[in-house]
Amino acid sequence: MKKKAVITGIGVVSPLGIGHQDFWDNLVSGNSAIAPMECLDLSKYACKNGAEVKGLNPEEFLGRKGLRYLNKGTKFLGSSARLAVDDANLEIDEELANDTGILIGSSLGNFSQTTDYFHNIIREGPSNLSPMQSYDVALNSSINYVSVFFKMKSFARTISSGFTSGTDAIGNAIKLIQNGKAKVIIAGGVEQISLDLYMIFYMRKMLAGSDGTGNEISMPFDKRRNGFIMSEGSYVFVMEDHEHAVSRGAKIYGEISGYGSLFSGGRNSDIEKRVEKARNTMKLCIDDSGISPDDIDLINANGNSDKFSDLIEAKAIKELLGGKGEEVPVHTVKSTLGESYGASGAAQTASALLSIKNSLVPPTINCEEKDPECNLNIVNKKCEKEVNTVLINSFDLSGNNSCLIVKKV
Amino acid sequence: MPRVVVTGLGLVIANGIGVTNAWNALMKGKDGTATLTSFDTSQYKAHRACEVKDFKIDTVFENETAANTIHKYTYTAAKEALRDSGLSETTGCNRERFGIAIGTLAGELPPFEYLLRNAPDDKANGFDMGVALTYPPSSITTLLSEDFGFEGPNMVSLNACSSGNHAIAWALDLLYEGKVDVMLVGGGELIPQTEFTHFHNLKALAPEKCQPFDKERKGLVIGEGAGIMVLETLDFASKRNAEIYAELKGYGMSCDGHHMTAPHPEGAGAIVAMSNALSMANISYENVDYINAHGTGTSLNDRMETMAIKSVFKERAKGIPVSSIKSMIGHTMGAASAIESVVSCLAIKNNAIPPTIHYETPDPECDLDYVPNEGREAKINCVINNSFAFGGNNVTNIFSRL
Repeated sequence: MKKKAVITGIGVVSPLGIGHQDFWDNLVSGNSAIAPMECLDLSKYACKNGAEVKGLNPEEFLGRKGLRYLNKGTKFLGSSARLAVDDANLEIDEELANDTGILIGSSLGNFSQTTDYFHNIIREGPSNLSPMQSYDVALNSSINYVSVFFKMKSFARTISSGFTSGTDAIGNAIKLIQNGKAKVIIAGGVEQISLDLYMIFYMRKMLAGSDGTGNEISMPFDKRRNGFIMSEGSYVFVMEDHEHAVSRGAKIYGEISGYGSLFSGGRNSDIEKRVEKARNTMKLCIDDSGISPDDIDLINANGNSDKFSDLIEAKAIKELLGGKGEEVPVHTVKSTLGESYGASGAAQTASALLSIKNSLVPPTINCEEKDPECNLNIVNKKCEKEVNTVLINSFDLSGNNSCLIVKKV
Repeated sequence: MPRVVVTGLGLVIANGIGVTNAWNALMKGKDGTATLTSFDTSQYKAHRACEVKDFKIDTVFENETAANTIHKYTYTAAKEALRDSGLSETTGCNRERFGIAIGTLAGELPPFEYLLRNAPDDKANGFDMGVALTYPPSSITTLLSEDFGFEGPNMVSLNACSSGNHAIAWALDLLYEGKVDVMLVGGGELIPQTEFTHFHNLKALAPEKCQPFDKERKGLVIGEGAGIMVLETLDFASKRNAEIYAELKGYGMSCDGHHMTAPHPEGAGAIVAMSNALSMANISYENVDYINAHGTGTSLNDRMETMAIKSVFKERAKGIPVSSIKSMIGHTMGAASAIESVVSCLAIKNNAIPPTIHYETPDPECDLDYVPNEGREAKINCVINNSFAFGGNNVTNIFSRL
């Protein structure tokens, strides 16, 4: 009998709030975190809206020691890890540390600190930089920091796979729990808004408003949609072997019971092939979980307001579910939260677990003129509903598709 | 559970391009170290590196900046590995069961550096439409997936100097789970000035040469390149009569949880990584014939690694050859453990061990058989390959003759 990977703690550092309660309250109330960005000077650029983390006091979670050397992403990840471990009421003592690992998805990691450091090298000269300026600039140094903070000994791994990074990290973590590589894994995703992230999206005209209309709104599945709004944050879980969680009497939010990942062929793929691969990925994940498509009672969609991505997802869902394709409720966190890139799958996982716990589906706002080609049952008002099995979709136009199944235990 | 075998290899390293050239150079002890040319080092105290020389690629890049991407090395090594495995011409396979995992430390950084160096006033100048696609690290595997028509899972492992071994471990789990038939795995790295500076300011760069385990060792020499291998289930390989280099028997991971840059002084994490690899592979420490060391040439790593080897291999420690090819090709960072995995398979295939060159003065604290200066022939049935990264991120993998 395969071990089960369950979630016993949720740690959230999000534009919608610090801690999973604030995040959830704002999500179900349909409160948007999207506003003109303050952390970047975008006077030269057309797209100005984003969803930034505000009001985080990392000292509260990490103490003062060494804090000034930590970058934004590390503060996000460290704070959310502390929140998750506390939420799980978990004490990582010396013995458990041997069986505790960390597995985080992040598309860029600390790329922006790395490029800032390079900018300093060429402006100031290499010998004028102190080693402490590079203390926290490796792409994966945030993860190393958390592993040192909790003195964990099992493993530390960072996965980068674009928009699916967080989903892939969680998917990989459940396998490592299932095959006994660790009893506890701090798993999730982190991404930070930076000039680098902005330029990558801006150059590729992926942001809402890059069509020159001035509309900078996240409108998933609405026919007026014109791109996504960039977001940031860290969403981290205490994932445990079910037996371990039960033996210590931990509360259990749910099980992550399935994972699937496929590549849709990349830049030159046509919409039909992308739809086929998205559908196959969902099916692979459902099979991995040992359930059938009929068991899905909520879809936590990728739906990020991208013109093609939403269309491909809607078509794939209808192909997967057949006649039920227009009935199964679908929602996306990205109408209020924005697109948090490598962290988005982890943000969706937090939302799915909280839907199961609270028997509530958060609304998808701004979907007022539904695209007839996206005729899914988009939940646009908060709705009470018993939720047992959630399908999470994570699709990247560069080709990666990954899905998770979250189940009530 | 299926068995997993290695059926194709590809190498691009400082002392040779292509597996045959590279292996011959390694066995002859050819040093790939030279004066660094890809950027100006006049403001540094170190000027040497192991750059890939005389590199040509049989594909056309869109522009000059794109030609500076890591893709040139990963593509070349991947193409060689696929051709070697016989899979590049295979049709009729379910490509959704072909996946890719590549490790890098910062392979995507050099194009940014190249652009910003030419226009340093505004950081935004480091971003250019021509290479927009290659900024996220994930482009390393999505571009390869496109090139070779792979439709299975893919990911980039960002785990500093153990990135390659992490990617291989991730792929092994997918193969064991039965989710895929074939995984293209490995690592790739260019030399970013950022990382050169990082190591330089930590005083980790050797002024002249990399001398692993030598008493006078002065640090690492930075390197670049790519090492790629084709992994597949034994069943899949047998059905198509593929030639098999070795079996990938397992891996061991650990985390020091100790310090952001320094390794654990007694090698606690390294011991766990090696022990876990042996136990996953169900191989006794008595049956290991060669240790392909992390051996960076830094004072801390080489002492720590020696202690850890002694702890794991007990009375046999002094009888097992241990060598570090970083003495010849430098520390290729995220690619290092992948390149060393390729070399581990070649050691099994050829029953030969590449040397640790520049070994001159024995260190009483490093008293193992480091295969000094000359390669040797020996019956090699089982190899472990160590990678111990900054942040205490350790992965050891283990290969054996099928």
